[in-house]
Amino acid sequence: MTARTEPLGSRLATIKGAKLVKSFCYTCPWQCPTEVFVRDGRVVYTKGNPESPNNIGSRCSKGMASWWITRDPDRLHYPMLRTNPKGQPGKFKRISWDEAFSFIAERLARIRDRWGPEAVVFTCHHDPNTSFYRHLLGDLYGSPNMYTHTSGCEQDRRSACLTVLGHVFPMHDFANSRYVILWGMNMLGANQALWESRALIEAKKKGCKLVVVDPNFTETAQKADEWIPIQPGSDGAMALAMCKVIIDENLADQEFIAAHAEGFDGFRDHLRANGYTPEWAEPITGIKAGTIARLAREFASTKPAMSAIFKGSGYYTNGADAGRACYILDVICGQVDKPGNLNLKDWAPIGAPVIIPDDAKGKATRPPLHVAMGYSLAPDLPNSRLPDAVLDGKPYPVKAVFVQATNPVMSDPNRDRVLQMFRGLELGVALELFMSETALECDIVLPETSFYEHAEIRQGMWLGPEAILCQPCVPPVGEAKPSYEIAKGIAEKMGWGKYFPYQKWEDWAELMVKGLPISLAELKEKGFWAGEVGYNRVGKGVGTPSGRLEIRSKAYADAGFNPYPVYSPTAVSPDKQFPLRLTHSKLSMHCNIVTQNNPLLMEVCGENWVEINSSDARRYGIQDGSYVHLESPKDRIRIKAKVVEGLVPGCVSVRHGHGFGHWAMGSVARGKGAHSNNLMDIHTNPITGANCYNECKVRVIPA
Amino acid sequence: MQYAFYFDHQRCVKCHACEIACKTWNEIDVGPRWREVVKLESGTFPNVKAMNVSMACMHCGDAPCRTACPVSAISKSPQNGIVTVDPNKCIGCGFCAWACPFSAPQISSTVGKMEKCNFCQTPGKERPLDMPRACEEICPTGAIISGPISELATINREKAAGRLGSVGMQGLPALMLDAQSRFGTAT
Repeated sequence: MTARTEPLGSRLATIKGAKLVKSFCYTCPWQCPTEVFVRDGRVVYTKGNPESPNNIGSRCSKGMASWWITRDPDRLHYPMLRTNPKGQPGKFKRISWDEAFSFIAERLARIRDRWGPEAVVFTCHHDPNTSFYRHLLGDLYGSPNMYTHTSGCEQDRRSACLTVLGHVFPMHDFANSRYVILWGMNMLGANQALWESRALIEAKKKGCKLVVVDPNFTETAQKADEWIPIQPGSDGAMALAMCKVIIDENLADQEFIAAHAEGFDGFRDHLRANGYTPEWAEPITGIKAGTIARLAREFASTKPAMSAIFKGSGYYTNGADAGRACYILDVICGQVDKPGNLNLKDWAPIGAPVIIPDDAKGKATRPPLHVAMGYSLAPDLPNSRLPDAVLDGKPYPVKAVFVQATNPVMSDPNRDRVLQMFRGLELGVALELFMSETALECDIVLPETSFYEHAEIRQGMWLGPEAILCQPCVPPVGEAKPSYEIAKGIAEKMGWGKYFPYQKWEDWAELMVKGLPISLAELKEKGFWAGEVGYNRVGKGVGTPSGRLEIRSKAYADAGFNPYPVYSPTAVSPDKQFPLRLTHSKLSMHCNIVTQNNPLLMEVCGENWVEINSSDARRYGIQDGSYVHLESPKDRIRIKAKVVEGLVPGCVSVRHGHGFGHWAMGSVARGKGAHSNNLMDIHTNPITGANCYNECKVRVIPA
Repeated sequence: MQYAFYFDHQRCVKCHACEIACKTWNEIDVGPRWREVVKLESGTFPNVKAMNVSMACMHCGDAPCRTACPVSAISKSPQNGIVTVDPNKCIGCGFCAWACPFSAPQISSTVGKMEKCNFCQTPGKERPLDMPRACEEICPTGAIISGPISELATINREKAAGRLGSVGMQGLPALMLDAQSRFGTAT
């Protein structure tokens, strides 16, 4: 409360007897810039970088507890080679890095000769350091199958956003909003871009109206002026009905539409022809027609406004068009890229860390897998179809899968099929911090360093263009290596060492920052570079085929889909035998499959649970806090039940079902909670290739 | 002077960062929780309400834990009002935990002594009082503010006055006092 002159970080560092290193956190993909307190080669405290606009000095629980990763006794220390045949969980022996690099190089050469470079697939969590692997396996080796993890994440949102707005990841300019409607997006709970959380809270204090459309009374719904408890999988119906009200009542921004949008007239006719009225939407969504019409009028008449989605409107076979309809609300009201809208963020000019000349590039003879599979509009690999390629050779054979910081055995639907897939590979390579459930199914497991032990430069997830730097704070655990050393090691064995000429991380980092207005030395000092926030860029052209905002999608039409968003029922509906829909929600103190071996976070939440509305609980005899069996046509799990009011009756919500119930990883994580992904059968979004996690029916029985 | 915490439940999103920051700065083992965020829910579907509260020692003016302690291990600083426990005197009996209306005192299973929020005054890692506390510094939404209670009261008065203007007397005081009786049972 008093004026402070010396920066807080350095005062705190003095108290702790520690050195301050500017870095960033990569526990989750929002990657907050940090100040890391290092004493005697150990991380003793961390805080947010107070100058960074991303987090204004603050952090979340996951990031705050993340120092544990540098001391976790369950971390992988050495390269490990499988010693027993596939088909059972792996047994491994320690090998040298030289042996590991030779093993992988030999297998890669053999697979390329026999099957072609397309038979190698790389998947990861988002990470610019994957660029080293991409240059190696994509550019030099020639595989077109360099993917990430999006189909298990926000593939439908991403696809809808690229289709309508021509931008991959717009930021939310809540600070200037007066009306915000969030669909299936729990940004105050699970998805913590901390500047967005703070901006939304501040905007609300200034009178911004927040409407949250979600079957679940999430942390975000809790703060909303109105919670719209919609039926799961019906967001598209409500959004289309809202569009119709806005257009029929002449509330659309005709001037903006004429200047910037494609296909408005056709969309108006499409809505009328299909009869997408609030009355039509009422029985589908469970939301009164009057409420839908009122929200439409409010949204169209309060500016600046924002309609935004995240994962929850996806995860259904109709999720792609639901997402498009939600974004079209922004377009027809003229609410794109102005202050208070979705912001078509500029990216920082970050270069590639290595340069591969064109004549050195490997050539693939087949198209990338997603195209060959028939998902040409998919922004990332439809990974629920990857087992078909490995096990059945469809659309063409895949023989090797690299997984970096991702754990498909836990995160993909239908665990049985994913396990089979890994057991059918000629080469499974895990680049991991832990002996994960997926690593156990691989042929070779390489220990990677954590973000406290290596360098990275990546795009910051803030409103303006931003580059952020992570620098090594403490020595690697055991013999763990950063991705840039692993890729270089494999490259040398394959005769491509000259393309990875760097000796230390600063060598490649210099190449990456060349286009930035600050030097690497300054970046090391400051931790980030942030540019000017931009607005009103729609007129300069967006990344759609037409360069305009596309209410009518040419790409959809060309691919044989309806160019306008349609509502279709979900693929799976609850029935007499399995009367409840399985849905999923997240936890604020855990991230994906990476935090469950952290005792600090497990103390706050050491077990996941299934939520059930009190009326359903009474019907099926479920007591709050008791254990239940959750049964689908495919499998059954035992899980703790939480009886709640904040959930739409007729569905259950498993919290963090892909991240608990570990049977590997580490001693803290193992055996805690229940893994729910084997309840699901595989349903793939026909347009985007997204995993449809919520296309699953269950019954609940006291255990 | 009396130092205290101000807490704004409208800002708290129950992310638990305050708990972990407290634990990391003060180097507390897994087990005792000097600070804990609880969620209070009320209503029936679809009219549901929820409120998050980040709870720690309130450093009470007339601290019941201090009165209850049979060995006078708990003291209240006359300079800043911070309530602390002397681990050399504490016998770990737990009377303080019974007496405290907020369950602030925690008995460590490893050391067998009481411990609790000491306003970041752990010997060797004391945060000067002109700084934010660890929980305050880390909070993504600025829900926790520490300071002399006179200054905190001003914040609260301004807020209450704002409410009187907009919604009349139904607004809820944000200063965290006996929240449970107002909002229902903790979950």
